[in-house]
Amino acid sequence: MIKKISYAIGALTLAFGLWGVYVRLFEGEQSANYGSYIIWGLWVAMYLFLAGLAAGAYMLAAFDYLFNVPQFKGTGKTMLWAALVTLPAGLASIGMDLGHMERIWKVYLEPNFTSFLTLMVWGYTLFLILIVISLYLAFKAPEKAAMKAVMWIGFVVAILVAGGVGFLLGGNAARLYWHVGLFPVQFPVFAIASGAGLMLMLVGWFMPDMDKTQRSNLLWLLAIISIATSAAKLYFVVADFTQSLYGGVTDNLIAVNYVLNGPQAFTFWGVQIVLGLLIPVIVLAQPKLAKNGFVAGLMGLFLLIGYAAGRLLIVVPGQVAEMMPGQAAAFTGPKLDITYTPSLMEWSVTSAVIGFSILAILIGMDRIVRFKEVKK
Amino acid sequence: MTEANLLQKYASEVFAGLVAPVAEGLQVSAAPAADPLVKEDVLVRMERELKHALEKPASERRWVMVIDLRRCVGCHACTVACVAENKLPPGVVYRPVMTEEVGTYPNVTMKFLPRPCMQCENAPCTPVCPVTATYHNEEGIVVVDYEQCIGCRACMAACPYGARTFDFGYHYTEGLPVFDGAVIGGKTAAEYEHISQEYGQAWERQGRHESPIGNVRKCHFCLHRIKDGVLPACTTTCIGRATYFGDANDPDSLVTELINKPNVIRLKEELGTEPRVYYIV
Ligand code: SF4
Ligand code: SF4
Repeated sequence: MIKKISYAIGALTLAFGLWGVYVRLFEGEQSANYGSYIIWGLWVAMYLFLAGLAAGAYMLAAFDYLFNVPQFKGTGKTMLWAALVTLPAGLASIGMDLGHMERIWKVYLEPNFTSFLTLMVWGYTLFLILIVISLYLAFKAPEKAAMKAVMWIGFVVAILVAGGVGFLLGGNAARLYWHVGLFPVQFPVFAIASGAGLMLMLVGWFMPDMDKTQRSNLLWLLAIISIATSAAKLYFVVADFTQSLYGGVTDNLIAVNYVLNGPQAFTFWGVQIVLGLLIPVIVLAQPKLAKNGFVAGLMGLFLLIGYAAGRLLIVVPGQVAEMMPGQAAAFTGPKLDITYTPSLMEWSVTSAVIGFSILAILIGMDRIVRFKEVKK
Repeated sequence: MTEANLLQKYASEVFAGLVAPVAEGLQVSAAPAADPLVKEDVLVRMERELKHALEKPASERRWVMVIDLRRCVGCHACTVACVAENKLPPGVVYRPVMTEEVGTYPNVTMKFLPRPCMQCENAPCTPVCPVTATYHNEEGIVVVDYEQCIGCRACMAACPYGARTFDFGYHYTEGLPVFDGAVIGGKTAAEYEHISQEYGQAWERQGRHESPIGNVRKCHFCLHRIKDGVLPACTTTCIGRATYFGDANDPDSLVTELINKPNVIRLKEELGTEPRVYYIV
């Protein structure tokens, strides 16, 4: 039943998304709401979210193939598949954000290696190749040394690309809200947290063939990981915000206030904190509920929504303080605002990316990486 | 009796110092005689120095801009001149003038801050570009290669001065009525709007995707004018004579004279960007 509903949701979101993709490709970026002052919006946030999810999924696959955690036995292939789907989905999201996406080849053939973006593009390409090789070996020779070697390299690369995303924002010294030394450290934690959220959904909702005891043990372990990473994330947020508020530097105050009581207050308090953190943590802390497949899956979904909102609240507030005070009022015109709400077209493109991910993960789980086969 | 003679004859002692240079056809300014600007209009001097600088190899020039905030009247003429010169579309601006109201009524006043690209010597915007589409040219000016730029906007995120805007493909002439065969109307205006000589090249900006649409754009000190010995459009248009431009490697140039004084600041210097735009305060 849940699977059918998920397929339907995947198909509907993809269908709605195709309109946005068409508009973006053929009519350009005018109907997006990001502009010259709020430079990066929903698509960049979704890229951070999905690429982080891919890194997290890979790290959790390593729990099966590298660390041999008994609860994770047999789930590695599914998580590798999830990584193989979410990484290209994230890259598609950022690709849509490029003014000239047809020139992306230049990053490979005419790269500038002082650019962190170049390093990220190359890093993600390497990561994608490693995911493909890992998945291939998972089918062909999961016990061989080659698999272990590839998984080790992939594990390290996953941490690096996840951290690199943090640097991509944090490296901008002019944007105080991003320029936090711990950003590259925080992002791998976000990655593993979102990987656990996704796995709660996949195991809770779509892996009924798993041995009952293993399944409930795994769900409980994932619940503990989720609670621990949620606590760590909350600590990061509280530390960042109190330090900013206490320090009182104008740009930081503008950004933090934008999150706490500005136009994004509901996204923060309602979506990121209550829906995406408090509810799942409280529910998952009850072993009985956490071991219930439906509940665990639902909490996984809430966690993921919270993480996605969290990415948006990292990307946008870093840009709300004008680089030159009075800039937006000095010259007016389209896309010269310092406010941002994603447009319908932007939501539509994101919907396509999410719809694709849902369908691809489900189809893959049904046809390619069937759990039953793994058990044999 | 000529106008000059008339002025000389009737001007009082007090005014004599002011009108005399006008009478001699030399000076528009009312600055005191000790001021070095008295000898010659600053524009004439800067243009002469510009030509002199162009005789040197490009790498030996150090273009700087100096903006005298005490003289800026906040008229936005430079902003508009720049838009006209570079045919900037809606939403693209290279040199906005920020206005700040200070004080409480009745003790209020306005402050103005024109902001071109700072042409930072240590520019945060260039190393972040994944395809080297934005870089220092041989004269040290930060340029954007529209054919190379992938439109990722990393440079915009990195610029501490908000000096870059993105070309989303708008046109001022969009939707104007067309009068066929006439030299007025949307078509003629559109043709004019589409002739840009930025970077010494024609940019038609047709359709929705043709560069510089989808690219980042920024002030380049009017390179295409400098090359021909003409000062940047903002400099020649400034009605307050508040913007100066020239070669800071020339010890005798006006800009060198100005930036060597102590009442000069640069914006956000603490970021280590080494801007080439100086403000007299
Ligand atoms: S002002 Fe901004 S765009 Fe201009 S050189 Fe400096 S960092 Fe680059
Ligand atoms: S937007 Fe263009 S110029 Fe700016 S960093 Fe990206 S590719 Fe380079």
